[in-house]
Amino acid sequence: MNPLMSLQDLRVEFDTRHGRVTALSGVSLDVMPGETLGIVGESGCGKSITALAMMGLIPNPPGHLTEGTITFDGEDITRAPARRMRQLRGGEIAMIFQEPMTSLNPVFTVGDQIAESILLHQDISRAEADKQVVELLETVGIPEPAARARTYPHQLSGGMRQRVMIAMAISCRPKLLIADEPTTALDVTVQAQIFDLMRDIQQKFGVAIVLITHDMGAIAEMTDRVAVMYAGRVIEQGLSDQILDDPLHPYTRGLIGCIPVLGRAAASADRLPPLAEIPGVVPPLHLLGKGCAFADRCALADDRCRADRPLLSAAGHGHPVACHHAGVPA
Amino acid sequence: MGLSSYILRRLFYGLILMLGVVVLNFFLIHAAPGDAAEVIAGEMGGTTEEMMAQIRAHYGLDQPLLWQLWLYLKQVAVLDLGTSYHFNRPVTELIAQRIWPTVLLAMSAQLVAMLIGVVMGVLASRKPQGAFSGFVSVFSTVGYAAPVFWTGLMLVILFAATIPIFPVEGMVSARFRGSGLAYALNVAHHLVLPATTLGILFLAQYARLSRTAMIEVLGADYIRTARAKGLGEGKVTFRHALRNAVLPILTVAGLQFGNLISGALLVETVFNWPGMGRLAFDSVLRRDYPTLLGVLFCASAVVVIANLVTDLSYRFADPRIRTGGR
Repeated sequence: MNPLMSLQDLRVEFDTRHGRVTALSGVSLDVMPGETLGIVGESGCGKSITALAMMGLIPNPPGHLTEGTITFDGEDITRAPARRMRQLRGGEIAMIFQEPMTSLNPVFTVGDQIAESILLHQDISRAEADKQVVELLETVGIPEPAARARTYPHQLSGGMRQRVMIAMAISCRPKLLIADEPTTALDVTVQAQIFDLMRDIQQKFGVAIVLITHDMGAIAEMTDRVAVMYAGRVIEQGLSDQILDDPLHPYTRGLIGCIPVLGRAAASADRLPPLAEIPGVVPPLHLLGKGCAFADRCALADDRCRADRPLLSAAGHGHPVACHHAGVPA
Repeated sequence: MGLSSYILRRLFYGLILMLGVVVLNFFLIHAAPGDAAEVIAGEMGGTTEEMMAQIRAHYGLDQPLLWQLWLYLKQVAVLDLGTSYHFNRPVTELIAQRIWPTVLLAMSAQLVAMLIGVVMGVLASRKPQGAFSGFVSVFSTVGYAAPVFWTGLMLVILFAATIPIFPVEGMVSARFRGSGLAYALNVAHHLVLPATTLGILFLAQYARLSRTAMIEVLGADYIRTARAKGLGEGKVTFRHALRNAVLPILTVAGLQFGNLISGALLVETVFNWPGMGRLAFDSVLRRDYPTLLGVLFCASAVVVIANLVTDLSYRFADPRIRTGGR
């Protein structure tokens, strides 16, 4: 099966006051039709830039896509004209964002905002679009959809607003839905509801989902395959079960160690193991050396790691990983 | 809260404000040096003490000040603004003649300033580091810093003396006897320089403000959403961004009405525009208390009404205010 969206060796650079920095380097990802791909990593690892690259929305200036190709549904869209990208955006490729509170325009009703998207991509009347809006709001589980369509974003809760965003995103039956931290700003019960909704929608419409998150729990719950990113590179990639059961990169292990375990806490509350953390922070992109970007935070790092950057390779392991000490227990 | 009760409450506050304006100005004028009776007597070509006493008695100037205030307030309550010392005609009549030129001047200046200023600001915001953006910033600073009488004189020198294409004096040509469209065109021709002079001051502010507001709004999450929908830059800028950036612009537009009226006073003096500002200026020189008080009363009424209209338009423009949300 051909991938729906394919990034090959993507390199994105940004002009900053520290000069030109590389935000993405050698990023290759495939999204298969109908699957859910997770992209996981800390803030600043390049996951949101990857999403924007898929949408053709890298802000330019200061961003530049300098190398690599982006293919969607067999079409090379790396340098596609703005007109073509506008057709794809919201039509074939849709996106939902982290902040449902601020991602909707405060001065238009939610119905207007969904209808705008429909009218942009489909040749139908306003009345017909309004009818679709109500159906969509019903699909995403908003009660009294006809009345809600006439409300403004500030009159809805965060969870409801994210449902509106999802309704807007699926309004034109996209083939690919990019969800950039869709539940980060929501509380836990609402998070679960939004994930349920996304799964329903995937089943109903067969849409492929790219889920961008820093939360390994969300990866476990939602995704088929996962790519772990660090400092603008993919450092480990594979089936979600593989990665979760047998993480090879020390960074991935760290991320998984950060998931609090409820059962263990309940069993022995007095001898609770401290919640793991990864020491340090992601290094600023302009300070990256030639070695492994994770070396400074890694317990396994040696001179080789600091001098020579490991490449993503599946040789000797079950799935691709970029680490000289892949699989060595810390 | 219902719209009508909101308007009623605002009008009530407006009345209290205008009462304050009248009382304060009444005392200010009487505290100012100079004596109305002397000026009147002077215009009659000199007089005796006896005549002066007569004049004072005639205009009620011999009464205690508080009593004069009380009498004046009673008049104002029934919209009688007294009789001008200089013109010997009811002040309301004088103002009725003069208020429209002032409103015309102020409104055209405001309209031109807003339209051009906002367009300049929007264009500048699309490339905040660009050359046009820099031009707008410099133009705004200069336009805002330059006093209106100086701008006015410069425009007169440029467009009336060096390249004589606009009249510099009055509202219609002295010997003009047309009506209808021809009259309107003649007035419009006379309006160009005064309205531009007054407008530049405010245009600079609107350009700067809308540039800042647009830059901020263009960075908002919902703009990214609009782009993710597949909207083109034109619609993103003018439909999604400007609609939000217009809110702070409206607020400032409302606050500007007071400045607009006082700016009009200076501009009217420079261009001999037959409006209230000119009337106020002359009344100050002539110690024509009733006329001056009347002008100030009407100006404050205009400001109160303009602010109310602004607040209402704000409710219309921002659903968060209309529906009582966050």
